[in-house]
Amino acid sequence: MSTLTLQNVSYKYEGSERLVIRDVSLSFEPGNVYTIIGKSGAGKSTLLNLLAGLDVATTGHIVYDGVSLAEINRNHYRARKAGIIFQGFNLLTNATALDNILLSMHISGVKGINKKTRALELLEKVGISPEKANRKILKLSGGEQQRIGMARALAHNPELIVADEPTGNLDEDTANRVLEVFASLAHEEGKCVIIVTHSKEVIAIADEIWSVDEGVFRPVPVNEG
Amino acid sequence: MKKYFYVIENALLNLSKNKGRNFLQGAMIFAVITTTVIALSIHNTSVTLISEYKAHFGSEVSISPERMPSNLPGITAEQALAFSQSEYLRDFEVSEPDDSSEAVDAVFYLKSPELLEAFAAEVRGKGLPDGYKVDIDRDAYARMVTPLEGLQDISFTFLLIVLALGAAIMVLLSVIAVRERKYEIGVLRAMGMKKRKLAMGLGVEIIAITCVCYLFGMIAGWLLSQPISDALLTGQQSAELMNAVAAQPLTSVKISVSPLTALEIFGVAILLASIAGIISVRQVTKYEPIKILMERN
Ligand SMILES: Nc1ncnc2c1ncn2[C@@H]1O[C@H](COP(=O)(O)OP(=O)(O)OP(=O)(O)O)[C@@H](O)[C@H]1O
Ligand SMILES: [Mg+2]
Repeated sequence: MSTLTLQNVSYKYEGSERLVIRDVSLSFEPGNVYTIIGKSGAGKSTLLNLLAGLDVATTGHIVYDGVSLAEINRNHYRARKAGIIFQGFNLLTNATALDNILLSMHISGVKGINKKTRALELLEKVGISPEKANRKILKLSGGEQQRIGMARALAHNPELIVADEPTGNLDEDTANRVLEVFASLAHEEGKCVIIVTHSKEVIAIADEIWSVDEGVFRPVPVNEG
Repeated sequence: MKKYFYVIENALLNLSKNKGRNFLQGAMIFAVITTTVIALSIHNTSVTLISEYKAHFGSEVSISPERMPSNLPGITAEQALAFSQSEYLRDFEVSEPDDSSEAVDAVFYLKSPELLEAFAAEVRGKGLPDGYKVDIDRDAYARMVTPLEGLQDISFTFLLIVLALGAAIMVLLSVIAVRERKYEIGVLRAMGMKKRKLAMGLGVEIIAITCVCYLFGMIAGWLLSQPISDALLTGQQSAELMNAVAAQPLTSVKISVSPLTALEIFGVAILLASIAGIISVRQVTKYEPIKILMERN
């Protein structure tokens, strides 16, 4: 298991002068749940995109397994190492839930297991029945889509899981079920789980909390939640 | 190879998922291929016929006074026989002499039309006096070959227009298709799919559509080429009749789609598909996945 480290990372969007992430240095260790909180527009999703290898820091380094993400093949990193749960789901809407997950497994080169069985197990884990698994994404609710996005992120058994508001569309019971999955991934399977959230329930399972304001990150004592 | 299997599988699955768009793209390819089949088969057939007619009418030589009416006597059987002893000829025909004169009608068949000059020189060397011409039947030649040459020109121009339009349509459709699928591409890239595999998937889709449309286009083109050729020939002839004297006109050219034509058209189809494929791939590599996903959300 590897550590993900940010070294003086700053970021600004192309064509803009404003720093959305300002000189952030912190470390994410395996076996922990991290939550990132902050106002809308504070820079949370931007940071997750950087951690997920979807974008590169303007200055500074994001180092995984001893190598800067700017220097590695980020396709490979996204396909094998990181699992990303998007704020906007980003599923293939014309395909079924099951096909979305199977495709992700294929892209990641998952081998040696029955892919369909594992996909259905994952969906079951986040509360999606086999009947719904065979429905097209378009015909599923927002909360269902969100959980399918989560199952997809876990499909290739990544070491690092980044999630953007993963309980945003869920009722309390479903949210708790999903949170149990996140907690067990970190605490039992030793994954590194990073969640952006506004929800108190999510903050409650965190081992470490960071608050972000105008791109500046500050630690928050856990008991204050 | 095995790791590319899912790319192909997914591409074929996509074909069934996006029926509307694929149908439109397929219909365009179908139209382009059908018209190409028609143009190309008419073109090829007229080329073949022209060379046959040229060989036929261009090698049928007769000897007659240069200016008509004329009081020069026709050539004699004796002369005709002497002239026929030539290595440029494959055959000759000499009629019986008239009662009133010794003149005969003689037709000499050249081994090939290019030998006309050489044969004429040889005949003059053997004593054919000035005032006679050694030539093919220009009128018959024009009557038979000119309409075909017109047809050949028309079909060639038509072919070029079809190909240019076809290429333009394919490029446009690919650009639109990839634009429509930008989000899908963004999602796949975000999941870590390599550009190469994405490009391959798009290529497989385009090639599959093209192959199906090729089959249907060939059949439709094959059925349509004959009636279209007949119609075109009729048009050509009425213009030709203005200056041609009455003679057996050319009424029909048997259009055939040879294996070579079929292969040429397959080449055209694949070329068009490749153009579309290359355009799609260029578009795909242009986008950063994060940009696509942000635009959408
Ligand atoms: N493509 C972009 N170009 C320029 N600025 C952008 C772009 N995307 C986001 N921003 C700006 O960057 C800042 C941080 O955006 P980000 O999406 O990271 O916020 P967030 O913390 O995730 O907010 P929310 O809680 O609403 O999701 C915002 O001020 C936003 O306006
Ligand atoms: Mg956000």
